[in-house]
This record gives sequence, C-alpha cells and structure tokens, in this order.
Amino acid sequence: MFEFLFNYSSEDYARSELVYASDWPIAVVVALVAISVAGVLVSLFRRRAYAGWLRLAAIGVLQLTMLALVVWVLLQPNLRTERLRAGENTVAFVVDNSASMAYGENGSRLSAAIGVLSTLSDDDNTSQLTLRHYEMSNSALPVLSFAETSPTGATTAIGPSVKSVLLEARVSPLAAVIVASDGADTAGGLSATDIAEIAAFGVPVHTIGVGRAVIAEDIEMTEVSLPAKVLPGSTVAARVSIRHDRQTPAQVKVYDGDDLLAVQDVALNTDAGVSTAWVDVELPTAGHRQLRFSVDAGDDDLEQRNNSRSTLVEVANQSYKVLYYEGEPRWEYKFLRRAMDQDDDIQLASLLRVSQNKFYRQGIESPQQLEAGFPSARDELFAYDALIIGSVEAASLEPAQIELIKEFVSERGGSLLMLAGPSGLGNGGWGQTAVADVLPVSLPPSTRDTFFRKRALAELTPQGGDLQMLRFAESDTDNLKRWSELPEVADYQVTGNLKPAAATLLTAQTDIGRIPLLISQPYGRGHAYVLASGGTWRWQMSMPVEDQSHEVFWRQLIRATVASAPEHVSLSASTDAGESNVHLRAEFRDEAFRPVDGIGVSAVATHADGSTWTVQLQPDTNEPGVYETEFVPDESGTWYFEAIAEREGEPVDVSRASIHFETGQAEHFNIRRNSTLLQQLSEATGGQYLEMNALDGLPDLLRYSSSGITEQEYRPIWDAPAVFLLLFMIKAGEWLLRRRWSTI
Amino acid sequence: MTKTSGNMTAIIGLLMIIGLPSIATAQSGGRETGRDESTTREAPGEFEFVRLAYSVNQYGRRGGWGGRQMWQTDYPDAEHHFLRGVGRLTRVEAAPRGRILTPSSDELFDYPWIYAVEVGYWHLGDRDAQNLREYLLRGGFLMVDDFHGTWEWAAFIASMERVFPDRPIVDIPEDDEAFHVIYDLDHRIQIPSRMYTYSGVTYEKDGYTPHWRGIYDDDGRLMVAINFNMDIGDAWEHADWPDYPENMTALAYRFGINYLVYAMTH
Repeated sequence: MFEFLFNYSSEDYARSELVYASDWPIAVVVALVAISVAGVLVSLFRRRAYAGWLRLAAIGVLQLTMLALVVWVLLQPNLRTERLRAGENTVAFVVDNSASMAYGENGSRLSAAIGVLSTLSDDDNTSQLTLRHYEMSNSALPVLSFAETSPTGATTAIGPSVKSVLLEARVSPLAAVIVASDGADTAGGLSATDIAEIAAFGVPVHTIGVGRAVIAEDIEMTEVSLPAKVLPGSTVAARVSIRHDRQTPAQVKVYDGDDLLAVQDVALNTDAGVSTAWVDVELPTAGHRQLRFSVDAGDDDLEQRNNSRSTLVEVANQSYKVLYYEGEPRWEYKFLRRAMDQDDDIQLASLLRVSQNKFYRQGIESPQQLEAGFPSARDELFAYDALIIGSVEAASLEPAQIELIKEFVSERGGSLLMLAGPSGLGNGGWGQTAVADVLPVSLPPSTRDTFFRKRALAELTPQGGDLQMLRFAESDTDNLKRWSELPEVADYQVTGNLKPAAATLLTAQTDIGRIPLLISQPYGRGHAYVLASGGTWRWQMSMPVEDQSHEVFWRQLIRATVASAPEHVSLSASTDAGESNVHLRAEFRDEAFRPVDGIGVSAVATHADGSTWTVQLQPDTNEPGVYETEFVPDESGTWYFEAIAEREGEPVDVSRASIHFETGQAEHFNIRRNSTLLQQLSEATGGQYLEMNALDGLPDLLRYSSSGITEQEYRPIWDAPAVFLLLFMIKAGEWLLRRRWSTI
Repeated sequence: MTKTSGNMTAIIGLLMIIGLPSIATAQSGGRETGRDESTTREAPGEFEFVRLAYSVNQYGRRGGWGGRQMWQTDYPDAEHHFLRGVGRLTRVEAAPRGRILTPSSDELFDYPWIYAVEVGYWHLGDRDAQNLREYLLRGGFLMVDDFHGTWEWAAFIASMERVFPDRPIVDIPEDDEAFHVIYDLDHRIQIPSRMYTYSGVTYEKDGYTPHWRGIYDDDGRLMVAINFNMDIGDAWEHADWPDYPENMTALAYRFGINYLVYAMTH
C-alpha cells in the first residue's frame, strides 16, 4: 500500500534524501506564497457576512493547505538515492569455516551459510557486482568458491579475519562485506581496537547469524579459576562456571590423574545463563598437580568435549614471611599470633611496643631480626610478603619508613593489612601520610576519635562470599550460616569513605548502623586491606575451644595476603583465548625489588614426554625487568618452563612455571550463536545483522551501499497518488464545509 | 485474712516476681543474648582487671577479714594501685577500675586475664571447674596469689584438679617468657603481706619458701600462674605504705605486669 501511494518503498525513502529539482529563485517562491496567502485572506474578509470568524478560519486553513501543497508540487520534490554503479563494485563473501560450524540439526551451519551466500550471489541485484570469496577461521583465506570449504578451522578470530579481508579486497572498490558465521569467536572476541580499525575502512560489514543461540541439550564448563600456586595441605576453593540453557542438576568432579579429589553437586537453577559453583579441593602434597574439572549432567549432553577443563596447580613448599607491627599489648595481638602458630608455612614476626621505649619481638628467626626496630632499609622490609600494622600511630615511624611502606605495596607487590585500634587507622594519623594513598578507604583525621569499644556483628557481603579466604564451609548457604553464628567482635572503628576500587568483604552491624568491616583494594603491584576491628578475639573466647572459626579466619586471611605477593623472580605461562600459543613472561628483580638490567633471559620448555625446546625472551621496553616471548607448543599436554637469567654468561637467577596446554579444543566450547558479537560488528561499520529467516532485505542492502563506487539517482515524488489524493480531500472538505455553512 | 492484708500480700509477691530475675541477672552478669546492655555499653579499656569471686571451702567459712569474703582480700586497693602501674609502665590501655565475676559466669570469656586471691580457701564446684577449664583452654589466663603452707596448698589443689585433673603443676622455668617478657625476673624474693612490717617475717604458716608454679597448655603456653607462699596482692595494696619495702612493691608490680603482658602476647 505504501509503495502504491508513494511510488516507492519505505526503505527507499529511508535510504534517500529529499531534494527539490525546481530552479525557481527563492524570492519568486516567497512572492508566490505571499500572493496566495493575501488572496485567501482577502477572499475570506469579503465573505465575513456569510459566516463567523471561526468558520472562516477553518475554511482559510484548508485553502492555505491546498495552496501550500500546490507550491510544494511546483518545487518538484525528488528522492535522491546513492546506489552502487553497476559493474564497478566488489562484494566480499566471508564464510566461517571453523570447527564450530560443523554443528547443526538438519545439515551443518557451514552448509546453511554457503547456501545463503549462493542464493545471494544468484540474485539479480548482485549479478552486476564482482564477488570475492573468503574462508574465515583464525585468519581469512581467499578462495575461488566455497565448493571445497569444510569446517576444519581450529579457532575463530573474527576481528583479525575481517580486517585482513578488508585489506586484501580493497584493491578494487569494495561495496560491502557479508560475513556468515555463528559468531563463536575463540580468540578473545572483538576488542575496541579491532572495531575501530574495521570501522575506519568505511565499508559496511553485514553479518548473517548461523546456528542456534540456545542449545538446551548442551552443558559446558566455561571456566575454572583457582590459584596457580598454593601451599601443601591447603584446601583451595575452585570457582567453576557452567553454561547451560536448561534447569538441571549436575555434578562437578575434580580429578588429579585417576584420583578423584572432589565431588560437588550443583543445581543449575535458571533456564539459561552461566551458573557459578565453588568446589573445595584439598591438595595435601607438594608438586605440580594437573587437575581436571568435569561437569556431568547426563548422557544426553550434545557435546561432551566441552564438559571438562584441565588446569595446573603448583603445590609448593614455600614459607612466607609476615611482619606485624603493633603499638600496644592487646588481646587481638595475642589471639592473632595464637591462630597463626599452627600455620607452619607462615613465619609471623612481630614487633610489639610494650612500653614507651621497649619493643618485644616474637617469631623472629634470629636475634638480629628487627633488632633496630621497624625496617628502614628497602631490602629488609621487602623480604616480607605481607605487613600488618596494628594500633600504632604513624608518628612512631620516620617519614622515610612510611614511604617505604607505600613502596612495599606499590613496587614490591606486598600486601598491607591495617587493623583498627585506639591508635590505629584514622586515630593514628595514617590518613595524613603516604600510606593513605594505598588504603581502600579515605581515613578520617586524627582529631576525630573513630574507635569504639562497643560490640558489633560481622556480616559477610556477596563480594566476600565469593572469596576462599572468607569461607568456613563449602556451600554458600552453610558459609552464610556459619558467619551469622559468630559472636560479636569486641570493638569497631569508622574508616571513612570507600575509594572507587575498594571492595567491601565484610560489614559490621553496630549501634550506629552498618559500616564496612573488611575492605580491600589492589594498589600498584600489591593489595591493601583494612580490618575495622581489633576485637575478633571474641570469636575465640566466646566459642567452644573445639571451634576453629577464629583460627581459620586469620589463617585464610593471612594466606590470601601473602599468596598474592610476587617473588622477586617470577615466570608465568599463559595461553591466549585461541589456545594456539603460550605466552611466557619472566620478571627479575633484586632483593630490593628493583628491576634487574643487563641480563639475558632464556627459557627451556620441557614437555611431559621429555622433549625440550629453548627460546629467548626479549626485554619489554615498557616495563623494566620484564622479559617475554611467545612459544608455540607442537603438542598438547603439560609443559614445564624454566627461565634462566644470565649476566656475562653466568646464571644469576632461575624461575619456573608450568602449564597444561591443549590444542584444537577451543571450537568445542562456546558453540552457541553469538549474535551480540555479530551485531556489534555490523553496527560499528554501518552494516546490518540478519538472521537466517530474515534475509529478504539483503539484496537491497547491497544495492544501496554507501561504500564503493556509487551514483546518484533522482526519483520524482510529486506525481505520487498520495499527493493528488490529498489535494482532492482538502478541496472536497472545503466544499462540504461551505455547503454546510451555506457560504457558497 | 482481711482484704487489705491480702492486697498487700499480692503487691509484695508481684514485686518479688519482678525483682528476683533482675537480681539474678545482675549477679550472674547475663548471657550473651545479642543487643543487651553489655553489647551496647562501651568497654572502659582493653584490659579490665577481673577478680574471681569464688565460693569458699570449709576453712573459708570460718575465715574472712572484717566480714569480707576471702576473695575480697586486698580489694579494691590492690587492683586500683596495680592498674595505675600498668598504665604508667606499659602501653596497655587499662580500665581504671576492676570487675568481679564468679568462676561460672559466662562473662568471664570477655576478660582473658583474671586474678584470684587466697585460693587456699576457694572451692570450685563442677560448673565452676568446667567453666574455668573451658576459659583457660580457649586462651584465658589465671593468676592466683596469696596462699601459704601445706594445708592451703592442699585446698587449692583439691579445686584446681577439678579444672585440670590431667595437667601437672610445675615450677615455672627460669627461662620462661613469663619471667622475661618485659622485666627480667631473675632475682626473686618472697613477697610478704603487710604483716612483715610488724613481724619482720616474710612467710606465713609453713610457707617458708616461695614457689612460682604454673599449668601449661599443649603448646607450652602458661595458662595459670601460681604464686605460692607470697602475697603479691598485698604488695600492690600497700604500695603507698611508707613502711612496706619498696623493693618488694617493685617486684610485685613487675610480676603482675609480666603476667599481664605475657597473657597478652602468648
């Protein structure tokens, strides 16, 4: 109907610009309008005896509208449309031939995509375009046709592939790129940089989504997250993420080789999405442990290969050092030390000011340790992995020592935990020191007493509930219950406003309301924590001696602080999202944690079967002390890496890492259609995302592309039936009114 | 019974019903029931001196000074003087006044350091012993003082063994941190009661030799400091007596402070 009334389709109007073909000067148009208006007004004035002003006004409006429409027609309105010039443009057809395109119900996704593109290439609108064909997986490969195309690509990198198509195809005017894909990118997705670079070509990329977005019969383990290094005897909480499109019970199992370490029932309660579960895994013995996490939801799972993921954990016998600086004998000090006494992996050295001029040292390894008081030298303080500062005023330290504490966190990467107390936090003047920058809160001034010896109830926040260091029980429900049963702490301290990066892990219900109790934030290379109470000791004294909640809390908290502290020599091995190579990153710092220069770094890569490779690491120009390289394993399995730093041919330091590497598995994960990524790509380039059942508009999209060599087409609209119909209706309406009011 | 006297009886009975629970709660200290007065009041300091108000044995019933119970010996000046010394000589934030609690009180667990005097006259029932045992094993510290001679020791043991029937009482070694945490207490003398200023004798009954003994936990920490054949509390109480020897007063303070700081660090 629209096209009948207006001569052209609504899409044509949407793509076109309204222009006027008349070359009448504007003065002539204005004069014509003025004469018309004057004539109508004079005519109405002369007939004022026959009708009231309102009726005359109604008739005048109709007459003026008709005259305006006539003037508009005389101006010769046209639709100006950009369209591709026949025979001078190219369109790139890109089909995703990664392994995920092999999935499908009635034929594969790949065959459906090729069918669509073949149909399009036979359309009249594309017959005058030059077509280029590309296969896309981890890169784009030009082909003569899709006749031999098969879903064999090991990974999918849509962004880089489209970029290479645009680069390669622009040798001739490129009108558009049509990408038929399931959008299941396995190379990290589309970054903002990728999108900007693709959009800069100015070529619209139209995407066709292939495959199902919802696959109820597939359960997938998308991610397993747990610390890379733990202490022997630790129980680590592994966070597993499971993608599912139906409600179903499932079971997560954890294996170390053939040994079943843990079984966890998981309820996948929503119909669609990603559910997260925590699985506690006990790792008693030292060594590299390859843990395999698998989810089992029944035999009808579509794709079993995405039900498990493996990861390596290094269970290392390593002793960590913590320094606790306390300004007054108090119960929190006593019970904190008692809680840590049982932890053989943490050496807690404490420096306690017992009287104005006397310090009491405990947990020291030698009589010389801390003999001069709080460390003043960088290498002495940086030998610790974490620092606890209790109820002690900042003025007890020199400004240089306070600055050193800041560097301890920012440069060494250590953790700082500050405890509440009558002379702690804001009361101790720490808010006016360099340490204030490190903390996750903006401490109040020392003129305001913020410490209260009143009891408060600790409560776990959702953020805190996600962390292993605050878990007393395996399940979230049991954990919350244990926290709710804890006695009150003996005191609390108001900490001030939270900083943007702060995470509140515990809150305290006090007589002044709910306040943050345990807050943390990353700072530089390290982390800072504030515990706004010096009274957790009540948990120990108020609960039966068999209860270990107090001990567990402190051990887990302290372990979390030291575990994140880097060593002065470190090596990490990680894979990219496409799992095609391993990124090795080594960092060498001296005892004072200053970057080490003037060294050569090589890494020896050893496969579990004994084969070895040696690669050179190159210095990172942006980060002193950091050396990196990419290593492409030639087979799956466990790889061990040893990075050796040499100066003048002599080894000076060694660091080790390991990784479990599997090739060719990426495409079996994330097999659902990712419409969002495809839409993102289209919208950024001025293209359009289409689904398989709505491709009718695709030929028009090509015909009216704004890229390539185009020509302007002018199409008049003055002769549209709608114009004449409107003229008739206006005049007829005027005539009817005049008859009714007897003005004729 | 007339109507008037019947009304009076009812009123008195009603008052008793209302009053008795309040009295009982005040005496027991109350249980931790959430946001009651004990949770909303502000504690006066990190350390509050707690004196144990125990039940007395048959000897204690015949004893007592001026109508006071045995556990009240030296009260309140002993802790008053001692606390002032703590505040002046250490960084411990001590409350200016002490508290009194029974061995079976649940409130005991809020005060990890407690003091009991004249324990030769104490009697710990089953509940007292169980409560005290739990208190000490959780991390509490008990200092006992001012009991002398053979039969007072026997009376002390009779109750102490109810608390720890399986833990030995041993002499505190010379190198124990309790003797060195702040002050080095290598040279120790018998600290007498103020009667020494009259008699010139430092011992009482047959307690000729002072003994510093203790009970330890499984990790080698001192839980109970037993000061036998001496009177540290009297030395605190009479710190302001010109006749009481200064060196004995000083030593008494040092012992108390060492025990306190030891308890706060171990």
